[in-house]
Amino acid sequence: MAERKSSDAPQASVRGSRDLKTAVPAAANRSDAPLDALGESEFADLYTEHSRAIYYLALRLLSDPQKAEDATHDVFLKAFRKMHQFRGESSWRTWLYRIAINHCRNLQQAWNDRQMLTNADEAVWENAAAKTDSPLRVLETKELGQRIQAALDGLPHEYRLLLLLVADERLSYEQVGTLTEQSPDAVRGKLHRARRAFAVLFQQSA
Amino acid sequence: MNQQTKLNSQGQEHEQQQTSAQQTQQASAREFATPEELLRHDALHTPVPPTIAQRLQESISKGPAQARPWWKRLLGGSNQ
Repeated sequence: MAERKSSDAPQASVRGSRDLKTAVPAAANRSDAPLDALGESEFADLYTEHSRAIYYLALRLLSDPQKAEDATHDVFLKAFRKMHQFRGESSWRTWLYRIAINHCRNLQQAWNDRQMLTNADEAVWENAAAKTDSPLRVLETKELGQRIQAALDGLPHEYRLLLLLVADERLSYEQVGTLTEQSPDAVRGKLHRARRAFAVLFQQSA
Repeated sequence: MNQQTKLNSQGQEHEQQQTSAQQTQQASAREFATPEELLRHDALHTPVPPTIAQRLQESISKGPAQARPWWKRLLGGSNQ
């Protein structure tokens, strides 16, 4: 089912590795938490391997670095306390993502509006297709993160979550479908529209 | 005359700065085929605050002991 993995995946090399601390890219280790802070344990390895992905998801879902920090802490604390419940039916990554998605969903009180798409929204994005079929050309500035956040904030929650999960090359469409409670085909279909919507909003944020 | 020389010098410096800025921008301009590629790039350059691990360590050390696995409870043992 590894249908969308590519060789340039920054974290692909650490999959299944027991020697995570050496396998994680040096740049990641530099900026990540002090690895010894949690002790030489499997949980520390788990944190080292997945904290970046979980923090980034929380950051872009909650649009707030402090809330994302709190959420990441809470997600891993919850994971630590529930580690004994993990049966290996999914990957650790998927398990952690599920905790994180549920946690962020609970934090977002506005979740109940489900942000259903309207035809008007779809029409706007469809009509803008000509502009968005070209690659996204960006300058690597400090504002890049803000532009990305602005574009994501403009998306319906479902599209935002879909893009963030699909961006993780360690997840297959099937796993993304499981996490978002839909079929892989539905993921593919919605992904197309999510990409287009993101591109329109990203260009508007320039 | 001195003022003219100074202005020329400042103008040259300004041009050099502009050129340098343009070169920097050109060097750092990137294209991403899909939003996912852009997000992946962003994620890779978004550091995880080190305070999370510190807080986590504190929370774990303060918090309740980790529950024993279900199979350990099932197999028994008095050290509940």
